[in-house]
Amino acid sequence: MSTATADEAFIHPALFYRSEAEYTDRTAAFVREGLAAGEPVAVAVPGPNLELVRAGLGTDARDVTFLDMTEAGRNPGRIIPGVLRAFADAHPRVRVRIVGEPVWAGRSAAEYPACAQHEALINAAFAGRRATILCPYDETRLAADVLADALVTHPTVITEGSERVSEGYDWPAVVARYNEPLGGAPDAVVLAFGPGELPEARRFAVGVAASLGLSGRRLQDAELAVAELTTNSVVHGGGSGTVAVWAEAGQVVCEVRDAGRLTDPLAGRRPPEHGQIGGRGLLLVHYVADLVRVHTTDEGTAVRFYLGV
Amino acid sequence: MDGTGASGGPARTGGGVLLDVGPLSGRPGIRASGEINVSTRLSWKNALTELSRQHTDVSYVELSAVRFVDVAGVAALAVTAMNLPVGRVVVERPPPQLPRVLDLFWPSLHRIEVAPR
Repeated sequence: MSTATADEAFIHPALFYRSEAEYTDRTAAFVREGLAAGEPVAVAVPGPNLELVRAGLGTDARDVTFLDMTEAGRNPGRIIPGVLRAFADAHPRVRVRIVGEPVWAGRSAAEYPACAQHEALINAAFAGRRATILCPYDETRLAADVLADALVTHPTVITEGSERVSEGYDWPAVVARYNEPLGGAPDAVVLAFGPGELPEARRFAVGVAASLGLSGRRLQDAELAVAELTTNSVVHGGGSGTVAVWAEAGQVVCEVRDAGRLTDPLAGRRPPEHGQIGGRGLLLVHYVADLVRVHTTDEGTAVRFYLGV
Repeated sequence: MDGTGASGGPARTGGGVLLDVGPLSGRPGIRASGEINVSTRLSWKNALTELSRQHTDVSYVELSAVRFVDVAGVAALAVTAMNLPVGRVVVERPPPQLPRVLDLFWPSLHRIEVAPR
């Protein structure tokens, strides 16, 4: 099914599908092609589609790693480190093959920009790595601009069984386009913090988050995430910042703003070296949050994370 | 930013929160109280270096009076434990962030045993 040459290191086609039968046939064929070549194969797609792939594979499914993308990839920002690189790094000496479906019809308007940036950044994260990642897109249920973005974030696209080069492929453009100002939050409670006030900033955020209904492990995760973001502000973001907390559609949202600029588009998306001490802060935020949105310019950076109550 | 050097003792942050860290009495290891964060990082790292220098079989890290530890603070402890030639580190009554961060980044680190609060 794939027309890309196998000696190309990274292969990243989008698969536009129009029916369950087509989805089942094409993903199963893609998986079997990998199994026949001796490649480790993972399938990370939303739950109902997992069942389609399993059914299509029959007994071949036993050799495949399955992950429900609505859980493993709920936050699109953790799919590269937590799903794709995690699987690839577990098989360092061979080419790996993954079906990854990060965009589905139920993604919210707040989530979609992070999904598009994730799809774009896969190209940077896997440049030169031996991997084939097929990204299915539901042509019948996804919006036209989502499908248009998929042509920009994937070097090739498969439609009706034939693969063609995507003329508009230009992934950095999608990273830049969705680096959008994050809308205001009229109900936000805001605190400014300086270099010596990290504990105060953290306690403030935890207090507001708890009053908005966050509790247990999710509240502890909010505390950790705020600590990491405010620490980044103090160390890399000009030494001070603001932390804001509010509720939005059943989630608690925390946002840290400072005067720094995030210049590394893969910050927070690289699995850390085992013995590395620093550099895990943004990764932690991606791991624990349901969604992370970032807006970064020369004027400053806002990082916003969402946790379901 | 760190208030003290290699000798341990209280490190003051701008907000008045301290990390007080020193040797345990009667058994190998260290005890700490206060906050382990970027402002107190050097004291924490120095104490861990001292712990690994004295380590023989089992070392204890008593954290019942630590209110918060950040990711790099847990990472410093994990890396210290990983680099021990033998034995293990028993972390006693740590704040809840510690097992959470260990679980996220070092899910099968056998050199650390956590005795919960």
